[in-house]
Amino acid sequence: MSVLQIEHLTKDYGSGRGVFDVSFEVNQGEVFGFLGPNGAGKTTTIRHIMGFSRPQHGTTSVNGLDSWKDHYIIHKDVGYLPGEIALPEALTGTQFISMMAELRHITDMTHTDYLIEKFALEPSGGLKRMSLGMKRTLAIVTAFMHDPQILVLDEPTSGLDPMMQDIFIGFLNEEKARGKTILLSSHIFSEVDATCDRIAIIKDGRLVSTFVADDLRHNESKTFKIEFASKEDFERFRTEVEYPQKLNVISVKRHRNQARVLIDDKDVNSLIAILSDYHLNFFTEIKFTLEDYFMKFYDENQSVEEGVENAAH
Amino acid sequence: MFSKTIFKQTLKSNWKLWAVFTGIMAVMSALVIAVFDRKMISSMMNMVKNMPGIADIIGDRMDSMTSVLGLLGQSFYSLQGIILGLIFVIMTANSLVASQVDKGSMAYLLSTPIKRSKVVRTQALYLISSVLCMFLIVTSVGLVTVQVAHHGLWAEEYTADVKAAAQVLDLSDETVAGDLTLILADDDAVTSGAEARGIDKDVYTTYLGLKMAENAGVEQPGIPADQMEKIQASFMAGITAAAEVLDVDASDLATDMGKIKNSDAAMTAAVDASGLPKELFVTIVNGQLANDELTLDQGIEFSVKDYLLLNLGAFLLLFALSSISFLFSCVFNLSKNSLMLGAGIPIAFFLFQIMSQVGSSLEDFKYVSLNTLFAPGDITGGGTFWPQFAVLAALGVVLYTVGVEVFKEKDLPL
Ligand SMILES: Nc1ncnc2c1ncn2[C@@H]1O[C@H](COP(=O)(O)OP(=O)(O)OP(=O)(O)O)[C@@H](O)[C@H]1O
Ligand SMILES: [Mg+2]
Repeated sequence: MSVLQIEHLTKDYGSGRGVFDVSFEVNQGEVFGFLGPNGAGKTTTIRHIMGFSRPQHGTTSVNGLDSWKDHYIIHKDVGYLPGEIALPEALTGTQFISMMAELRHITDMTHTDYLIEKFALEPSGGLKRMSLGMKRTLAIVTAFMHDPQILVLDEPTSGLDPMMQDIFIGFLNEEKARGKTILLSSHIFSEVDATCDRIAIIKDGRLVSTFVADDLRHNESKTFKIEFASKEDFERFRTEVEYPQKLNVISVKRHRNQARVLIDDKDVNSLIAILSDYHLNFFTEIKFTLEDYFMKFYDENQSVEEGVENAAH
Repeated sequence: MFSKTIFKQTLKSNWKLWAVFTGIMAVMSALVIAVFDRKMISSMMNMVKNMPGIADIIGDRMDSMTSVLGLLGQSFYSLQGIILGLIFVIMTANSLVASQVDKGSMAYLLSTPIKRSKVVRTQALYLISSVLCMFLIVTSVGLVTVQVAHHGLWAEEYTADVKAAAQVLDLSDETVAGDLTLILADDDAVTSGAEARGIDKDVYTTYLGLKMAENAGVEQPGIPADQMEKIQASFMAGITAAAEVLDVDASDLATDMGKIKNSDAAMTAAVDASGLPKELFVTIVNGQLANDELTLDQGIEFSVKDYLLLNLGAFLLLFALSSISFLFSCVFNLSKNSLMLGAGIPIAFFLFQIMSQVGSSLEDFKYVSLNTLFAPGDITGGGTFWPQFAVLAALGVVLYTVGVEVFKEKDLPL
């Protein structure tokens, strides 16, 4: 069952900025990674999910309720961590926590206390003097104090030190194990890698790819780089193997006598058999990580089409 | 309709600013009331009347300044009180909505199960009630000051001379005040009464005569106009001569004729120059001085109703102005934009109002200023003001409502 549903969401801020015809859904119990370069439209999409912005076209809904019309109902079940932390400065952390508890009609503070302890928060000081990381953790505690079923997180670990980041990722995995539905916007690959079930990539306001993270992690085909010892070997390889399409050669560098081939794991023996006929300088696997995959999209010089094409193999 | 929790938090974040402004305003209005001194004001008026440029500018407003309310209306309720209240309203309105959206701290309130409309209505409630409380306090402090400094509320207080005379006569204040002839009949009583007022005995007896006539509601027997004019001209000639002897300005001397009586040389010169018999001249001087005393007694006359209306009007004006600031605070997501219009328009209204009073060529500016709808002079001077009050109240209600609706429907960058 999809908990978050984004259908043809469009918000045009003019001069090509905004989000355009974005559709995806996040299912019950799923951790959904939302990635994209700066200004791609992640925060904009999340604002629509939270009901802070009204869509120009399309809809966003949470638990089947329209984000814009029923914003106050959906907030009962949503914990939202905004990308930029700004807290009311006149209060102390403790006052802020009790105010949020009142606004959420929480009387039982055990979960809140659990979170305070987990994130080692010392909330008694004034908010004005708190460090960025303290404000972040305070925001985390107040966002999840009502133990919501849905977490909407906009770059939640920015501003946290590496140890707090680990604690936070641990917390996300715990929440995932408890069946929570999580939307996570992030620029940190390790964090996405460690938590997400599915990932969507948005660029220039358009969704360019949605995929299951495991497919990428356990990719069953590999890319190998082969350098031949001589021009003759290289040319012979091309006529004997590449043109008859005995192997899937994806690119060649003629001046270096190099070729790249993409091979299913089950065909690796035939690759070795073929290559044993030639003199090689070396033969190496090109490791392909999530990060490589994302970098294709982040790279400003690479067009979206190219990225999609590369992602396809 | 409103959220108690949010109201509490708003109060915590904003009460200091409120307290500072309310404190300053209460002290300012109390000072104006406390230092009010009819004699001083009238002499100031006379001084000003002799300076043609300034007299033009101040115009008819001069006469209204000779009562506490008139003075308040021309000073605190035209300038300091309005501008201070305005600054408070501008700052608060911006910090209640636009600045929280701009900074992003509104995200916390709006990610809880509370309707947007409830959040923004609560902020509106805070702004309105803070302005209301501000004027309640200014009004209360003002009333206390009127009583303490001038006995203006419970006027059964007796003037200092009556009290002093009553002591000499060993009678109650009430008895003596009820029958001033008791003082006249006793020389000691006259002496101490005169002393208590700080005037000489002759002037005091004249004053008592005038006071009794006033109490009885009797008009002073008039002197025929043509004769009056002649006497006045001669009298002024005398004053001018005396002024020369005393080396002071004639107009200064006219407002403080006690000086002539204190100097024999001045008196002789004055009597000679006027050509009037000495007795008559002295009588006129005494009459003038006694009249000054009478007006002093009137100076503490204070209408509580007018004072409350003055404050109601000022509140309504600020209510209307605050609705402008609040509206723009709801419309814009950036503090700077919200301030540009939310502060700019009310301040422009204030400046137009001031300009329209400076000279008749700029008078038309009053038609483009909301502040014109609160005219203290009309309240203390018996003009119409209820329709203006109604317009201010209605405008405020409308703009607050529009602000709430706009906020409900707009996109928030949270
Ligand atoms: N209220 C707005 N008015 C005009 N343009 C806007 C508005 N909000 C966002 N934008 C523009 O829309 C684009 C998407 O912004 P968004 O904040 O969604 O990016 P993002 O993916 O969250 O980026 P980042 O990773 O830097 O947080 C940006 O170009 C931004 O300038
Ligand atoms: Mg963002």
